[in-house]
Amino acid sequence: MPQIDSIEDLLKLAALTAAAVSAAIIVWYLVRRPPLGRLTKALLFLGLGVMPLGVALTGNIAGYEYTLKRPFCGSCHVMGAYVRDAEDPKSKSLAAIHSRNNRFGGESCYTCHADYQMFGAVTTKLNGLKHLYFYVTEYANTGPDGEGGPTIHLYKPYSNKTCMTCHSTGAPRWSGVEEHQAMLDDIRKNETSCVTCHTEVHPTALAHRAKAEKAEEKRP
Amino acid sequence: MMKHADVKKLTYVSAVATLGAVGLMVASIVFPKPALLVFAMSVGQGLGTLSLATYLLAIALDLQSGGGLIERVEEDVGEIKSDTAHE
Repeated sequence: MPQIDSIEDLLKLAALTAAAVSAAIIVWYLVRRPPLGRLTKALLFLGLGVMPLGVALTGNIAGYEYTLKRPFCGSCHVMGAYVRDAEDPKSKSLAAIHSRNNRFGGESCYTCHADYQMFGAVTTKLNGLKHLYFYVTEYANTGPDGEGGPTIHLYKPYSNKTCMTCHSTGAPRWSGVEEHQAMLDDIRKNETSCVTCHTEVHPTALAHRAKAEKAEEKRP
Repeated sequence: MMKHADVKKLTYVSAVATLGAVGLMVASIVFPKPALLVFAMSVGQGLGTLSLATYLLAIALDLQSGGGLIERVEEDVGEIKSDTAHE
């Protein structure tokens, strides 16, 4: 009996059960070829309509839930160095520190890189499609961690709004830092980026590796 | 007018296409890799929708051309044959 630990597991089980019922009905029809009577039509409606719709709906939600998780982001080899650093318990990079958070650590890539605005999830997933396009067209034949491919960069400057989803800029410990006090308005208005000072986000990122820099210099 | 054989052919095509679509969706659940997920959520679901539409079309055409009368005759003939064989 498979262990069900989350809604995602439950949805996967529901999708697989619906798929099995659908496949059983279809295989029965294709093998036996019964006359198209009322019962056969009703069974086929179940196997060709209701059950596949169930697979699509539950599968979509389960798939979406999985795309939020770090292993999904790490399934493309160009992300290898980023994910290894994030999962390193000794690493002191911002990515690793945030990935050790119990509340969202398993979804740290999505939590820090998603658009938090209306339809943010949609724009984030559309950007994911763009990632896939670039992966296939530019990084498919690159080295173990994407060496030899173009340097990975963000589509737009990193927004402080993402940091401020958790770091409200109002907590006493945060406000106690002198630099924060001096730049409070600029930080809140997104005029000074958090990552301007907190630079060690992904220290093992492709752009920081010597081979990648050389490859980038050679590009026309 | 739609022939009975064409209705059966449409149903057969729909069944095979649905099997393919369900297979793709299951593959994306069992092996959730980016390319497979995108493929299943676009091509897989598109194929599934088309095959359901094909099946509904087959049923509509079947009802239009006699509402399953031929099937009932086929079933009756089958029963008569089996009764004769028993005798």
